[in-house]
Amino acid sequence: MNALGIKHVSYTYPSGTQALENISLELEEGSSLAILGSNGAGKSTLLDLILGFKQQGGIQLFGKEIGAYGRKELGRTLALVPQTEHYHFSFTLLDYTLFGRSPYLQAMGNPTSDDADIAYQALEEVGLAAYADRSVTNLSGGEHQLLLLARAIAQQSRMLLLDEPTSALDPANRKKVLSILSSLHKRGKTLVFTTHDANLAYALASHVAMLKQGSLLCFGKKEQVVNTEMLTTLYETPLTVCQMGTETLIY
Amino acid sequence: MILLSLVLLTLLLSLLFLFAGRYPKPGFTFSSIWSQGGMAQSILWKVRLPRILLALVAGSMLSASGFTFQMLFSNPLVEPGFLGVSQGSAFGAALMIVIGTSTTVMVQLSATFFGLLALLASYLLAQRFRFGGSLLRLVLSGIAVSAIFSSALGVIKLVAEPTKDLQDITFWMMGGLWNASWKQLFSILWIVLACMLLLFSFRWKLNLLSLEEKTAHSVGLNPKRDRLILLVVATVGTTLTISITGLIGWVGLITPHLARKLFGSDSSFSLPGSMALGSLFLLVCDTLGRTLLPTEIPIGLLTSLFGAIVFIIILSLKHQGGKA
Repeated sequence: MNALGIKHVSYTYPSGTQALENISLELEEGSSLAILGSNGAGKSTLLDLILGFKQQGGIQLFGKEIGAYGRKELGRTLALVPQTEHYHFSFTLLDYTLFGRSPYLQAMGNPTSDDADIAYQALEEVGLAAYADRSVTNLSGGEHQLLLLARAIAQQSRMLLLDEPTSALDPANRKKVLSILSSLHKRGKTLVFTTHDANLAYALASHVAMLKQGSLLCFGKKEQVVNTEMLTTLYETPLTVCQMGTETLIY
Repeated sequence: MILLSLVLLTLLLSLLFLFAGRYPKPGFTFSSIWSQGGMAQSILWKVRLPRILLALVAGSMLSASGFTFQMLFSNPLVEPGFLGVSQGSAFGAALMIVIGTSTTVMVQLSATFFGLLALLASYLLAQRFRFGGSLLRLVLSGIAVSAIFSSALGVIKLVAEPTKDLQDITFWMMGGLWNASWKQLFSILWIVLACMLLLFSFRWKLNLLSLEEKTAHSVGLNPKRDRLILLVVATVGTTLTISITGLIGWVGLITPHLARKLFGSDSSFSLPGSMALGSLFLLVCDTLGRTLLPTEIPIGLLTSLFGAIVFIIILSLKHQGGKA
């Protein structure tokens, strides 16, 4: 079954700037898609469209048009891990993770103890359970990213959308986040993430879509599309893809 | 447990303050008031009891509104005056006083109408602004609308008849519960209770609406619609309340802060905590206002004084403790 179907989608901002032009792609459930491109290529706009945050026809999730989803149903289908998030109040880490249970609550309902258990397990999965009662305002950058991931895990959605998931992380936290995402992918979760890091795309994705100035340069399995020629065209700078043992390195 | 203690303390003080006042003599009078017959009991049941209940209801409503505004604007330094609501209501009340139809109902209706009009104007204006995100646009339009109503209020005060109307307007703007009666209380009670119940019911959503709009959307909310609904509910509750109490500042700013300190940031606990604190705060301020001096001190002056002191303390502590 297709987790994601995008057919001839274009998007123009109210200011008149065209962000995306005639994008089409299909992604099987359980796949991992990297939306690769330089800054301003339209990656985040495409992510917003898939999230349903910006309204546009022509996008299907699990065989159903986004517009046909109810808000909570959409929340149970998709979870978002934003690039960053600002904290205005001192919620605890457990409170913050519990926010991911909202699509499962009644209109005026509060989380139950079962929801708290699920949230706590999500914190355990990202290694923050020991700090469940700590305030979110006391987190480091790496912990912050892990917390956003925990909230999305607690959401138990079929698909995870991640906006530049490792762009602000040091190598240790980057490895940790990659390991968690790989584990989620192996368990059948569909991942869609934006990045300008070709190495991350190759390490985590099964499929890669390259966006250049709002147009789809190429889309396919990573082995088919990630090559020296395509990357050089995408970034307009010479890049080399080379094999080092079992690892693929792009520099 | 803390919340229960707070509610019990408020109820206990309410009962105690029923016997505090300047009749038959200044201070607390317990036994003798019961045996003094008609006048004393009349004061107890027809003056003090509705006044105390009004203080509890108004404190709770203003606090719930302030809390709601702070969550919706992701800003712990916000209160209902933020979108021109207070200035709009003040203009509405002053207009009725000057026109000469200053019956309670007309002042209430006018204050509520102009409070809502200010909210609507701020909202519509924000749609036209081409600067900043949606929240910043609302903030900026609120400042503009507030300034317009403030100027209009100044004009009304300028033309108001100085010996009567101007005094009425001035007292209304200082806030006070001296006119409290059962009739006044019941004229707003059911709608205000409904507003409080709605805000209380949506307390979990308030948490989510304090997040960024995209995140709130991603966890199943319709943030634009939900924000508007809760803004209208909080505004209706506030304008109805201040239409009979006059402008009472700082309750909606201070009590949510204190509640977050006591109950944590999760609105499931801090909203009811804030409402209980608001009732307690207004009850104490009103009792002090009517008992401290031979002449009554407007409650708005006391809430501003105590509110500012608490505000300074909280902000000083924040340097050590971080965010709200």
